[in-house]
Amino acid sequence: MIEPTCTSTQPWWLRAVNGTALPSHPKLAVRGLDFHYGDSRVLKNIELDIAQNTVTAIIGPSGCGKSTLLRVFNRIYAIYPGLKASGQVLLDGENILDPGYSLNRLRSKVGMVFQKPVPFPMSIFDNIAYGIGHHERLGKADLADRVEEALRRAALWDEVKDKLKRSALGLSGGQQQRLCIARSIALRPEVLLLDEPTSALDPIATSRIEQLIDELKRDYTILIVTHNMQQAARVSDRTAFLYLGELVEVDATEKIFTQPGRKQTEDYITGRFG
Amino acid sequence: MIDHILKSYDDELARLGDELLRMGELALRQLQAAIVAMEQRDEVAARRVIDADDHIDRLEREISHDVVRLLALRAPIAGDLRQVFATLRVATDIERIGDHAVNLARRSIALPGDAAVQLGAALRPLAELATSNVRAALLAWRERDTGRARQVWEADTRLDEAWAACFRSLLACMMDEPRTITSCTQLLLMAKDIERVGDHASNIAENVGFAVGGATIAIGGGLRDPAGAPA
Repeated sequence: MIEPTCTSTQPWWLRAVNGTALPSHPKLAVRGLDFHYGDSRVLKNIELDIAQNTVTAIIGPSGCGKSTLLRVFNRIYAIYPGLKASGQVLLDGENILDPGYSLNRLRSKVGMVFQKPVPFPMSIFDNIAYGIGHHERLGKADLADRVEEALRRAALWDEVKDKLKRSALGLSGGQQQRLCIARSIALRPEVLLLDEPTSALDPIATSRIEQLIDELKRDYTILIVTHNMQQAARVSDRTAFLYLGELVEVDATEKIFTQPGRKQTEDYITGRFG
Repeated sequence: MIDHILKSYDDELARLGDELLRMGELALRQLQAAIVAMEQRDEVAARRVIDADDHIDRLEREISHDVVRLLALRAPIAGDLRQVFATLRVATDIERIGDHAVNLARRSIALPGDAAVQLGAALRPLAELATSNVRAALLAWRERDTGRARQVWEADTRLDEAWAACFRSLLACMMDEPRTITSCTQLLLMAKDIERVGDHASNIAENVGFAVGGATIAIGGGLRDPAGAPA
C-alpha cells in the first residue's frame, strides 16, 4: 500500500487541514466590535484580523450582519441617525471608529463598491475625475493620466478609451460595475470593500470582476460580501462566516470549504440551514 | 447529519451511497467465491467469477457518471465534497478488488497438479485476513465508523506479515523441490493478488477517515512490503 510521505505517526486521513497563519501586524484588526441599530445589537463582539493584500470573503445568511460589518470599515453608517459602533477597528494600528479619525481621510484609504452599480449621470471620464477632485488638486494632464490608470486597472480602458466623453449610463451592467471599481481605485485606497459586487451581473461580467479582484489584491486589501459560496471559494484567501451578528468562524478559504471547524458553518455552506 | 434544504440533493447522494455498497458487496462475494474455487479447484465456479466481473465494472462506470453529474450540477463542498470524492476513490478500490478476484480465478484454473492443492493451504491465512479486512472496511464505510476504519488500516500490517510468511514458505518449497516451481510461482502471484486486496481494503478505510473527518491527501511514498518480498 502507498504510505504517506509525512513523518507523523498519524495516518494522513486523521490529520487536519491547516489554516493559514496571519501576520502579527494585520492591515485591519477588529477588536470587540458591537453595532447597534437603535436598541437592536446586530454585531456582537466581533474579533477579526485581515492581512494586507489578501481577499477576505464575508458570508452568512441574510440579516446576519455581513453588510453592516463591511459598512463599519468606512463608517458609512455615520450618515444615518441611531446607528452606533463600539469597540475598535484598527487600520494600520489606528482606530478608525475614533471620532478624531477624519472621514475624508478614511474614505481616501477605504473605497467601497456596492451591489448595484451606480454611475453618476455624467461622462465616463468625469465619473472617475469627480471623486479625485474631492481629494486632490491635479493638473489636466495628471488628471487624465490618473483616469486612464484607474480604467486600465479596472480592466475597462480598452472598452471605453474611444468614448470617454459619452455618458456612463450607456455602459452595460458589467462595465458600469467596473467603472465603479475604477472610481474607487482612482483615489488610490488601501482597502477595497465590495458588497455583493456581482449579484446583478451575468456570468461573463461576473468572471471579469472576479479576475479583476484577483489582480487588484496585489495592490489592495479586499473584503467582499457575497451570497455566492462558489464565488467566495473562487476569489478569497480567507472566509469569515457570520450568523446572527456573531463571527462563527474565520479561516483559510480552503479549510472553510473542505473541512470547516464549526458545524454551523458546514450546515450553512452545504445548504443544510433550516 | 441533517438533511439538505434541497431534498433531491439528498436523494442523489443516497443513491450514490447505495450503488457503492452494492458494488462492495458484489466484490466481496466475488473474492470469497474465487478463494473457494481456488481451494476446491472448481473450474466452473472460477469461470462464474470471471464472467461476473462485468457487473462490477458496470457499477463503477455508473458511479463515475453519477459523481461527475453531482460535481457539475450540485457543486458539493465541505463534508459533501469529501463524501463524493471519497466515493469515487472507494469505487476504484472496489473495482480493483474485483479484478484481483478474477486474477485468482484465472490462476486457479491454470494451477497444475494435485501437489498445488497441498501448497495452496499456505494461502488460507492470507485469504482469511484479506476477506475479513474488506468486509470490515465496507462496514466502516457504511457506518461512517472511523474507529473501525482505523482497525482495518492497522490490520494491514498483519496481512503484510502473512504475505511475507507465505512468500518465504513458497520460496523454501521451490528451493527444496524444483519441480514445484511452476505451481509455486502461480501461488505466489495469487498470494500477491490477495495481499493487494488487503491494500485496497486499507485504502477504503483511509477514505472513511477522509470522508468523515476530512484531511489532506498525502501523495507519494513508497510501497510497504515485507523484507525480502517483491513489491
